[in-house]
Amino acid sequence: MSEPRLSQAARAVLGLARPPLHRLLPAIAAGALSAASTVALLACSAWLITRASEQPPILFLSLAVVGVRAFALSRAVFRYLERLLGHDAAFRELAELRTGILSRLIPIAPDGTRALRRGELLSRLVHDVDDLQEHPLRVIQPLASTLVVLTAAVTGIAMLDASAAGVLLACLIVGVVLAVTTQSLAAARAERTIGPLRGALADALLDHFGAFETLRAFDAEGASRERVLALGNALQRASARAAAGAGLTAAVMALASGAAVLGSVLVAAPSLFAGDIGAPAFAVVAMVPLAVFEVAGAVPLVMQARRIAHAGAERVAGAVPAEAPAGVPVAPARPASVPAGAPHIALRSLSARWPGSDRPAIKDVDLTLAPGERVLLQGPSGSGKTTLAHVLVRFIDYQSSYRIGGIEARELHPDSVRRIVGLCEQTPWLFDIDLRQNLVFAKPEADDEELLAVLERVGLGDWVRARGGLDAPVGERGALVSGGQAQRIALARALLADAPVLVLDEPTANVDGARAETLLRDLLAASGDRTVLLISHTGAPTELIDRIIDLEPTRETDDTPASA
Amino acid sequence: MRPFDPRLLRFARSARLLLASGMLIGIVQTAAIVGFAWALAGLVTGFIEGRHAFELRGLIALFAASVVVRALAAWLWELTGLAGAARVRQELRKQVLAAAASLGPDRLRDRSSTELATVAGAGLDSLDGYFARYLPQLLLTGIATPLLVVAMWSADPLSGVIVALALPLIPVFMVLIGLATSAVQRRQWEALQELARAFLEVVGGLATLILHGRQHRQVTRLRAVTHDYRRRTMRVLRVTFLSGFVLELAGSLSVALVAVTAGLRLVDGTMDFLPALFVLVLAPEVFLPVRNVGAQFHASADGMAAAESAFAIIEEAADHRAQSEPGDTDAARVDSLSAAAPAPPGLHVRGLTVQRGDQRIVDAFDMDAARGQVSAIAGESGAGKSTVLDALLGFAPASGLVLLDGAPLTLDRIAWAGQRPQLVAGPIIDNVTLGARRIDTLLVQRCLALTGLAGLPLERTLGPGGSGLSGGQAQRLAVARALYRLLERDLPLLLLDEPSSALDEAAETALISSLRELAAEGRIVVVVAHRESVLRRADAVVRVGALEHV
Repeated sequence: MSEPRLSQAARAVLGLARPPLHRLLPAIAAGALSAASTVALLACSAWLITRASEQPPILFLSLAVVGVRAFALSRAVFRYLERLLGHDAAFRELAELRTGILSRLIPIAPDGTRALRRGELLSRLVHDVDDLQEHPLRVIQPLASTLVVLTAAVTGIAMLDASAAGVLLACLIVGVVLAVTTQSLAAARAERTIGPLRGALADALLDHFGAFETLRAFDAEGASRERVLALGNALQRASARAAAGAGLTAAVMALASGAAVLGSVLVAAPSLFAGDIGAPAFAVVAMVPLAVFEVAGAVPLVMQARRIAHAGAERVAGAVPAEAPAGVPVAPARPASVPAGAPHIALRSLSARWPGSDRPAIKDVDLTLAPGERVLLQGPSGSGKTTLAHVLVRFIDYQSSYRIGGIEARELHPDSVRRIVGLCEQTPWLFDIDLRQNLVFAKPEADDEELLAVLERVGLGDWVRARGGLDAPVGERGALVSGGQAQRIALARALLADAPVLVLDEPTANVDGARAETLLRDLLAASGDRTVLLISHTGAPTELIDRIIDLEPTRETDDTPASA
Repeated sequence: MRPFDPRLLRFARSARLLLASGMLIGIVQTAAIVGFAWALAGLVTGFIEGRHAFELRGLIALFAASVVVRALAAWLWELTGLAGAARVRQELRKQVLAAAASLGPDRLRDRSSTELATVAGAGLDSLDGYFARYLPQLLLTGIATPLLVVAMWSADPLSGVIVALALPLIPVFMVLIGLATSAVQRRQWEALQELARAFLEVVGGLATLILHGRQHRQVTRLRAVTHDYRRRTMRVLRVTFLSGFVLELAGSLSVALVAVTAGLRLVDGTMDFLPALFVLVLAPEVFLPVRNVGAQFHASADGMAAAESAFAIIEEAADHRAQSEPGDTDAARVDSLSAAAPAPPGLHVRGLTVQRGDQRIVDAFDMDAARGQVSAIAGESGAGKSTVLDALLGFAPASGLVLLDGAPLTLDRIAWAGQRPQLVAGPIIDNVTLGARRIDTLLVQRCLALTGLAGLPLERTLGPGGSGLSGGQAQRLAVARALYRLLERDLPLLLLDEPSSALDEAAETALISSLRELAAEGRIVVVVAHRESVLRRADAVVRVGALEHV
C-alpha cells in the first residue's frame, strides 16, 4: 500500500486498543461463521435448485432443504453474536486504552505535552482516543473473519473445479488490490487538495463570525462574505474532482465480481461437458463468486477505517509521548524531607525552558519571598511570568537554584513542593459537577460548613446562597460561572489545601476592568497571612502589596504570540 | 427523525437535480441487475443443457454489458452524490451567510461565533454521508425494490409474493423494536456522552488535579467508570442489535424460502429451471437496498442534524424579513427628531432604552457629546456601557432619540472599536484598512503611530483571529483601524469601548493624548472606560445606571 509506515509509538497506542486474543477470537469466529453462512446459503440454494431440476426423488433433496434453512438462520444469528461479542471486547479494551493514555499523561502533565495546554488539541486528543476503540470493531475483526471465509470459499471451489477456483482467486486479488489502491490514492489526493481548502474555509468562517460586528461597522461584511464563498467555491470544485476517484472502489469491485462469475462459468463448462462435475456442482461454481464478492466488499471499507485509525494513533502517540520529555521534573529516588512551617523561597539566577523548546523562557531570575510577604510580579506578555509560576509548583524543571526553606526543590518530591506552594491557575479547570465536588477534592475531609466558610472568605457567600448552595452546578467547563468567580473558586481550593505560599497567576485576565480591582482586593484579603506572589500585567493597588518585581523579557517579547 | 427532509429541496435547489439524476441512475441500475440475473441464469442453464459458449454469445454479451452498466452506476452514485453534496453544501453556506447578514449581530448573539462557523463550515461536511451513501440507498429502496419484485413476480408469481410479503415485515419489526429501544437508546446516548465527558474532565483537569496531589487515584477511578459504562451499554446493545438481526433474518429467510419452494416445484415439474435460477439470483438483491438504508442511517442522522442547524438560521432570517416587511427597519426604531426643531451640533442621546426579554439593560440613558471634546461613558461593570454603544451602532434593539448634528445617527458616520479587537487573518495593513475605499500607506502609518504601534511592519501577516500579536498590541491595532476609518472618510464620530484596558499607564496616557488631538480637530470622541486615569482626562463624563453628570 502507498501509505507511510506506522511509527513504533503509534503501534504501541494501537496495541492499547487491541483486545486480548481470548476476547477477540469469539467475535472473529462469529463474524467468520456469519460470512460463511452467506456463501453457504447461496451455494446450497444453487445446488438445491439445480439438483431439483433433475427431478430426483424428493428424499435426495431433504438435506439441502435443511441446509438452506439452517444457513439462513445462522447467518443472522452469528451476525448478531459477532456484533455483541465484538462490542463487548472493544468496550472492555476502552477502559485499558483510556487508563493507558491517562497513565502516560500523568507523569508529563501538564507541561510535557502541548495537548493539555491548548483547548482544541485537548478535545482532539480525547476524540482520537475514543475513536480508537473502533479499531478492533472496524479493522481487526472484519479483516480476520473476511480473510478466513475467502480462503475457505476458494478452497471449497477448488475441490469442485481447480481452474474455476484459480479464476475466482485471481479476480479477488486483482479486484481487492485495485479497489484498495484507488481508494487510498483518492484519499491521499483529497487530503492534499481538499484538506487545506477546508482548513482555510474554516479559518475564514471563524474570522467572519468572530469579527462580525466589526465587519459590519466597517462596511466589510459583504467583502468578507465574498471571500468565504470564493473559498467555498474552490472547495466545491475540488470536492467534485475528488468524487470521481472515490466512486471507483465500488465500480472496481462490481467489475471484478462480474469477471469472476463469467470466468468461473466459462472455465468450468469444459469440466461439465467432460462429466468431471455434475450440473449441481457447476451451478455452485457459477453462483458462489457472487456471495464471495459480497463478503470481500468489506475489505476496502476495512482499509479505509484502518487508514483513519492509523492517523488517529499517530496523533495520539505524538500528543502523548511514552516517556517524559526533557524539562519535565522527575521525582527524586529518595526525596528530602519537607521543611516545616512557612518557608523562605529563594531563586538564584534561575532559568527555565518549556519542554520541547530550545530557548529559555526565563533567564537569570533572582527572587526571594519571605514568609507572609506579598510580592507583585509584573512584566509584559511573553516575559515568562507564567513560566515562573509553573517552575514554582514544579510543573517544569529549572537550572541553577530554587530553594524552599533552604532545601533545593529538585530534592523534594514534586507533590510535596505543591503542598507548600499552591497555584491559582490563569484558567482554572472547573469539573462539570456541583460546586461541592469542585472544592472538596482539595481537602477530602472538609465538611459542608468548612466549604461554605471558605466560599465566604473568597467573596462567593452571597453567590452560593443565590445559587442554592453547594449543590449548584458549574456547567461544562465552568459555563455557568464567570471568569472572576472561577478565580475565586480556584482560590477557595488553594485555601482548603492550605499551602503556606500562594502563587496567583493573572487572576484578573478574564475579568473586566471595574471588577478586576475588587477581585484582587478580595483575593489578597482572603489569603490571610500566607506568602503571596501575585502575577499580573496590569498591576495592583500599591497599598495591597509589599514589593514589586519586574520580569524582563529574555528577548524580543512583543513578537511572542498572546497564546504562549 | 424523518427519512427525508423536504426543506432540503426548498433551500438547496441543486438537491432536486441530485434527486432526479439519482432516480435515473437507480432505474438504469435496476435494469442492469435484472439483465445480470437473467443472463447468469440463462448461461448456467444453457451450459447444463449442453450448449456451447458460442451459441450462448448473446447471453455472454448481455452479462458483460450488465456488469459494466452496474459498475458504472455504482461509480456514478458516488460521483453525483459527493459532487452534489459539495454543491448543496455551498448553496446552504451561501444562504446561512446571507441569513446571518440580514439577522445582524443582535439576533445572532445567542449563538457563539464558533457555533456559527461550524454550522456554515465543518457541520455541513457531514452531508457527504447523507448524499453519497444514505440518499442513494433510500432512492434505490423506492425504485429498485418494487421493480425487482415485479421482475420476480413476472418470472415466478409465487416467489414474487414471498418477497412482497417479507418486505413490509421488515419496517414493521424495525418500528416495533425501535419503539422498544428508543428510550433505552436515549439513555445509552446519554451514558456515552457522560463517559466521553468523564475522560475529557480527567485529562483536561489534570493540571488542577496534580496541583492538589489528586492525580494518582484517577486511573483506578476512570477504569471503574468505564467498566460501569460497558455493563450498562451492553444491556442496551443486546436490544438495539435486534433491529439489525431482523433485517438480516428477513432477507436470508426469504432467499431460503424462495429457494426451497422453487426446488420443490422443480421436482414436481410445475416450474422451469431457468426462472427458478433467475429468482434465486434476484432474491438477495431485493433486500440489499433496505439493508443498506438501515446501515447508513446514522451517517444520515449526522448530516441531517447539521442541515437542521443551517435551516434554523435560514428560517429565522426569513421569519424576520416577513415580520419587518413594510419599511420597518432597525434604524427606524430609534425615532428621529422632527425636522422643525433646531439642529444643535454634536451627538445627543435622549431616553435611550435597550430591552432584551424582560430585562431592561439600558434605561432612559441621556448624553450630550460635543464636537471637539472627549466624552467618557462610565459605570459599574454590567451597567450597560457597551450596550449603549451597541444601540448607537444599531446592533441592539433600542428605543429613544439619537441625533448627530440634528440628523438620525447612521452606521456610515461612525468609526468604532469594540471591547474585543476582532482582528482577521491577513497582513496588518489589511486589518487597519478594513472596508476602506482607498489604501493610504502614510495614513496607515500615522494611525499606527497614534496608537503606539509605530514600529509594527505593515506587511506582517496575522493568523486567524489576529493571532500573532500580544493582547495589548491587538487592542491598539483595533483602535488604529477605527482611526483609519475616521480619518480616511473624515467621519464626525469616534466610539471606543475600553480602548486602554490592556495597556500600561504610559501607553494609556499617549493614547488619550492622541484622542484629544483628534477631538480638537472638531470631532466627537466617545470613550467607554472604567479607569479613573481615563475619566480624569475626559472633558465630560456620563454615567450609565445613574443619571449623574460629573
